[in-house]
Amino acid sequence: MGQATLYSVSYWISNLIATAIGSILPAGARTVVTSSDVVTGFAVLIFAVVILAASMLNTIMLIWWERKLLGRFMDRRGAMHVGYAGLLQNFADGFKLFRKNTVKPREADALGFYLGPTSYMVTSLAIFGILPISSGWDTGALPLTLLLALAIFSFAPLFIFISAWSSNNKYSLMGGMRSAAQMIAYEVPLLLAVVAVVIVAGSFDLNTIVYEQQNYWFWGPLFLALVVFVAAMLAEMERIPFDLPEAEAELVEGWNTEYGGMLFAFFMLSDYLRALVGSILVVLLFLGGWTLPSWVPSAATSFPLAGIFWFMLKTYLVFGLFVWIRASLPRVRTDQLLRVGWNRMIPLSLLSVFLAALLVTAKCLPVFGCVPSPGI
Amino acid sequence: MQPDDLSRILAPKLGENLLVVEPFDGMAGRVRFRREGALELFRIVRDELTFTHLSMVGGIDWVDHREVFYVAWSDSVRQYVLLSTDVPATDAHLESATPVWPSANWHERETWELVDVTFDHHPDLRHLLTPDGYVFHPLLRSFKLHEPEELEVKSRHV
Amino acid sequence: MSEMWINMGPQHPMTHGLWNLRVRIDGELILDADPEMGYLHRGIEKISEDRHYNEVVTLMDRCCYVAGLAWEHLYVLASEKALHITPPERAEYIRMMCDEFQRIGSHIMWYAAFVQDIGLMSPFLYGMRDRDLVLDLFQSFSGARLTYEYMRVGGVRNDLPPTFTGHARKILDWLEQRFREYDQLCLGSAIFHKRCDNLGVLKANDCVTHGITGPMLRSAGVKRDLRKDRPYARYDAVDFDVAVADGADVTGRYLVRMEEMRQSIRILRQVVDWLEQHPGPVMADQLPRWLGAPYAPVGREGYLLKRNYAKGVGFSSVEEPHGEAQAYVVNEGSEHPYRVKFRSPVFANLAAVRQYLVGYRVADIPPILGSVDVCVGEVDR
Repeated sequence: MGQATLYSVSYWISNLIATAIGSILPAGARTVVTSSDVVTGFAVLIFAVVILAASMLNTIMLIWWERKLLGRFMDRRGAMHVGYAGLLQNFADGFKLFRKNTVKPREADALGFYLGPTSYMVTSLAIFGILPISSGWDTGALPLTLLLALAIFSFAPLFIFISAWSSNNKYSLMGGMRSAAQMIAYEVPLLLAVVAVVIVAGSFDLNTIVYEQQNYWFWGPLFLALVVFVAAMLAEMERIPFDLPEAEAELVEGWNTEYGGMLFAFFMLSDYLRALVGSILVVLLFLGGWTLPSWVPSAATSFPLAGIFWFMLKTYLVFGLFVWIRASLPRVRTDQLLRVGWNRMIPLSLLSVFLAALLVTAKCLPVFGCVPSPGI
Repeated sequence: MQPDDLSRILAPKLGENLLVVEPFDGMAGRVRFRREGALELFRIVRDELTFTHLSMVGGIDWVDHREVFYVAWSDSVRQYVLLSTDVPATDAHLESATPVWPSANWHERETWELVDVTFDHHPDLRHLLTPDGYVFHPLLRSFKLHEPEELEVKSRHV
Repeated sequence: MSEMWINMGPQHPMTHGLWNLRVRIDGELILDADPEMGYLHRGIEKISEDRHYNEVVTLMDRCCYVAGLAWEHLYVLASEKALHITPPERAEYIRMMCDEFQRIGSHIMWYAAFVQDIGLMSPFLYGMRDRDLVLDLFQSFSGARLTYEYMRVGGVRNDLPPTFTGHARKILDWLEQRFREYDQLCLGSAIFHKRCDNLGVLKANDCVTHGITGPMLRSAGVKRDLRKDRPYARYDAVDFDVAVADGADVTGRYLVRMEEMRQSIRILRQVVDWLEQHPGPVMADQLPRWLGAPYAPVGREGYLLKRNYAKGVGFSSVEEPHGEAQAYVVNEGSEHPYRVKFRSPVFANLAAVRQYLVGYRVADIPPILGSVDVCVGEVDR
């Protein structure tokens, strides 16, 4: 668990490649190629490519999981034919979108039209460089990974609004405004629920937060914060019951009405990337990340890549809960949603912060089996 | 309510504008009236006879004249009544029933555009089912759907 | 944002049919509404003037495609009055059975579309699947699932198959327990109530002056149902209650339609029992000769060129799933009707859209229009 982190593996691969290339070059170039700067840079590149591939693959599998599970809730089977049990369906869909024409309306603003979805996708992908999937996924000694991840996560309303406005379409504009208002309103309870976790864990670093949960997961003492976080995350991900901005019943497709082809694929992938980020955050902050409770026999945690396996299992189960909610609830109207966000969620999240502080100062955490760390 | 009750109430108010009240199967009666007494008849039918719900206005083209009929329902006596009047084809005007029964609005728009009977003082007489700017009035007998074929004797009402 | 007119339609996933709803909005608030109809106008009334009396029945299926048999029933009732024909009793019970199953099918379709519009995705598919069972039943005796062409002037086309009553009873039992699930998913959800309570309110007086009928009128507390007030086709011989609610809002209309479905099941159980115990003819026996021969060659000396049959005028009204529909058939003594005029309930309900849409938000349009249950085929004809 501690020896082979992803970064050390990619450094090793990079070293190998540098030595191989350097062996056929003259001496001066060889020292340049095998110097630690070049090797480090190349290792970072490999690392980034691996994370990119893993996150994209995971997103596509997440879409598959949603389609099948939603289908079962609706008493039908979801995608069936392409690949075994429809596993390759989303690759086929992605390929279709990839080869499609991207049409920009003549009156649409070109910079915003192309930059909006692209930036949206970039910010959704960038978070994955920081989120740890298992203990070997160490991304470096960043003390504030959680804060950074949430900061990048909250760029989204800006780019949605840019995309909506530059589409030159009344419906898109309305959808974009609603969407931005919804996301901004629910950032506050989201972050306050996270503050509750940080108070109990004592650090903003995701690795430390998971480490603090190794005896008891935070969903016990911080149940209120979990509920607030899940609800706020549903609003951030724009899923039912909070998906009015893209409600097809009235605005056709909302703020991405005018987009087709690869730009639409960017939106769709970004939506599911954010859904994945949301589920991963729930697992990291409340469900113990890649650890299992100590009473589980060690055989379950000592096979290779065990951490990743349990982490992914938990993430997909949490996302399954989101899909279940989507299949069973109607949509909330935008003004009702904003009213709930400002009037109900924020007090609840403040209450959860208060409870967390109470737990820590009253030293009640050992009741839950948590061992508080010595200061931040 | 029987046709006799209707004529008993309507005859003194309308005088010669009321032509005849006939029995009609399953209804309170069929009131034929002259178009001059239209608005007054509507008001009496709605207020005194309590037929508050106007459900249908239609037009029939009898080539030399056109007939406009109204069907109204009363919740208190739970019956329909049929009112019908004739307008000459050369001067197809009639007073609109919209001030009395707001539900007549769309029905009269449709009757105008299909059977070419203009309703005076209608708040919004424009095309409803046919496109804007459509010059034909399709349900007139003179509007042929297809030319008569030699084999079928279909053009009988010219 | 300044005021602007937006077009919802004619191609729009929510409007359920081909029409254009123009609303003038100020931000999210609706200031005015002006529907544009006519995209589906096929001239059914004009075509009927060139068709034989029984051939018009095919047109009635397409008039309102969700409740085809109810419109066929409407037309054949009016034609029978115009032609002075009386159908046999078994035919009337069969027509009643068709009407009530059609009511269940139409209301399930309404339910599926309505909940889909407010965001519930799963009951849409549950409703479609249950409606398929009802369509299976229609297919068993008429051969079609949407355009039945089953009724004729004087009776119905053919008798029911012998397995019909068992099949029907099984479906009725299944549907009864499914309706309980539908209610749990909707009435049990707080979000549903937040979105649908006190929405699209149109009080009883306004309903009546604007010509509104059907579930919209009954949700305002007015206990008007043509099956009780002016019974046709043996509705006076069966036992049922009229569904009324008092909210005059979207939730009230939902409750009225769900209760109507349950009352339909109650009627159907009685009708199916009667049909099992009383075999008999399904077509009147004293029909004019020309009524049964639409394709006899013209030109032959005989009845098709003789045109002095008895004249008449027929008026009928049925309680169609969307409301009260009426037909006025003028018979001038030939084998084609002289004039056929229909009154569609959705026509009148949509004419008053300004009354119940103005003052609400744009996000409220799907629940409100869903509660009106628009079927554009019968508006445009």
